[in-house]
Formats: sequence, structure tokens, C-alpha cells
Amino acid sequence: MADVQALRDEISREIDEHTILIYGKGTKDAPRCGFTLETIQFFNHFGYPFEVVDVLENVPKRDVLSQLTNWPTLPKVFIDGQFYGDTDILGPMAENGELTAVLTKAFQAKGIKPSVVM
Amino acid sequence: MIDSNSVVALIRAHMPDADVQVTDLTGTMDHYDIRVRSSAFAGKSLLDQHRMVYAALEAARQDGRIHALQLKTEIASG
Repeated sequence: MADVQALRDEISREIDEHTILIYGKGTKDAPRCGFTLETIQFFNHFGYPFEVVDVLENVPKRDVLSQLTNWPTLPKVFIDGQFYGDTDILGPMAENGELTAVLTKAFQAKGIKPSVVM
Repeated sequence: MIDSNSVVALIRAHMPDADVQVTDLTGTMDHYDIRVRSSAFAGKSLLDQHRMVYAALEAARQDGRIHALQLKTEIASG
């Protein structure tokens, strides 16, 4: 049986390490789900570093993540430790400027500027 | 697989006033774009609005009738 506490610790460590963290299906270079790919393309556009953690095959970790967030689907996006759902949530936030404010605040605190995106 | 009318019915069972638009994205009746407008969303965050729709569709997602969905919610005024 999976150690739920160990998984919780692993997740909070990952969320802590990466200002933008996407739990998805597949990796950044090889996404294995259309929505995960869409989320990667979404964040590419902003020019800030982000990490993708593949949990496709890790059912116990997916279960813990769903419990922690009360959110049933993948991908799941965390920014600065906070859960933001998926691009269905982030899309409207990008449109009204809220997301840029969240990202600027999170990365400014760490002294990171966005790279120029062509 | 699930037909669009059943998707609408599942959501209305939770939110009777909901205006629901369902689009089959792939023609396979399991990938849907769902737009829901309801007064039940009033005062809820966008995350919670989506959680409410996911809850209404929980069984259909669990048993695989719905494989994937993209969702847009809107608060109906009055």
C-alpha cells in the first residue's frame, strides 16, 4: 500500500521547488494527453520557467493530489504553492489580466524575469 | 459514451436553472466542451464553480462515459 504521508510530503516538496508546477500526463517533451500539451503551450507563452511532473502511471499519487485539491482531473496547476485548476480556469484569468499579476508577483519575489517569447 | 442530452440532464439534476451547451469535440460522444450558466454559481470562485459541474458529472467520468471535458462556467444574474 502506498504511503499517503510520503506522497503528501513529496507533493509539497515539488510545489515548493517550482513556482509553476503542472501535474500532467507525460513530460514536457513528450506530453501524452491533449490537455497536458495545451497547458505546456499555454505556459510557454508567458516565458517563465515551469516544471511538468508526469503522474500518468502513478495512481496513488494522482489519488492524493485529487484529495488535496478537491479536483478530479489532470492536469493540475500550482503557482507559488497555490492551486489554480487547469487552463479552463487559467484561460479566463489570462484574459482579464489576473494571471499576469499572479505570475509577476510570484517571480518578482524570486528575482526572475520572463524570457522574451517570440 | 454519453449523448449530449444526458450530459445536460446530469448537470440540471444538480443545478435546475442551468443553461447548458454541450459540444461533442471529437464525434465520439466522450470528449465534450461544456458551457454552463447558472445562478447557483453566484458567490463561488471559478474553481468552485467548476467543482460543482465536476460533481454533477462524477459518475459519468468515473465509469468512462465521459473521457475528457473542457469547461466554461458563467454566473447567471437573477
